[in-house]
Amino acid sequence: MNPLDMLLTLSALLFTLGLIAVLTRRNAILVLIGIELMLNAANLNFIAFWRYGPPDTAGPMFVVFSIAIAAAEAAVGLAIILMAFRHTRSTDLDKLNSLHG
Amino acid sequence: MIPVLILSATILAAAAGAVWLARPVHAALLLALTLALNAVLYLVLGAHFVGLVQFMVYVGAVAVLIVFSLMITRTTDEVAEVAGRRGRFLLGLICALPVMAVLSAMRMGAGPVSIGPSPSGPSLKETGQTLFTSHAPAVLAVAVLLTAVMIGAALLAREDKPEPGKPE
Repeated sequence: MNPLDMLLTLSALLFTLGLIAVLTRRNAILVLIGIELMLNAANLNFIAFWRYGPPDTAGPMFVVFSIAIAAAEAAVGLAIILMAFRHTRSTDLDKLNSLHG
Repeated sequence: MIPVLILSATILAAAAGAVWLARPVHAALLLALTLALNAVLYLVLGAHFVGLVQFMVYVGAVAVLIVFSLMITRTTDEVAEVAGRRGRFLLGLICALPVMAVLSAMRMGAGPVSIGPSPSGPSLKETGQTLFTSHAPAVLAVAVLLTAVMIGAALLAREDKPEPGKPE
């Protein structure tokens, strides 16, 4: 198995684990953890293709911006979760089933 | 090759723990471990700048943010997370496996790749120069985005205090 395949397999497995977390967790923050895992898997693909592909610097640059946007997403996501927590006193997604403020 | 193999196995184990463990704090700490190991993997692969950014932003900021949120939203209904967990996990696995299959099939369909010799990545200096010359507009755009996010997050998470002089 060549190294590129190995990294791509690792990335696919990480993505699947993140997806499982998103699908099965009830705590909203733990769902966010799954999303972070999936984002990381995508970043890993960029680095893998950059490392074992044609010489180019686009891969790491893309990952740097992707990390910045992921941080922004996490900040807004957690702020929304905190807001919802203040309304319902819970982060259980099964209880957040109404858009009523 | 061998270090990458060992790192990959550890990353997978930590990620599996982050997905499986019932206690939210344990999951968050294992997520931090996964992200840190990912940063090490980037460093091993030669992407030094990305590795350092990953350490600072993901491990230093996002993981800590998640742990703090868990502390703030701490409730006693951890039992809900545990009830019927095995069945839910199995269902999630069944739903996620097709995605895994598609991801692997895409790789298989691409055929063999020729692995170019790229022994080491660009130095930190070169990366920085590229970032702030040819990618300068994107850096500015990200700066605007992060400012907007900071303001937005502060507004969203702000406590709604009753106005002074106004009854509740």
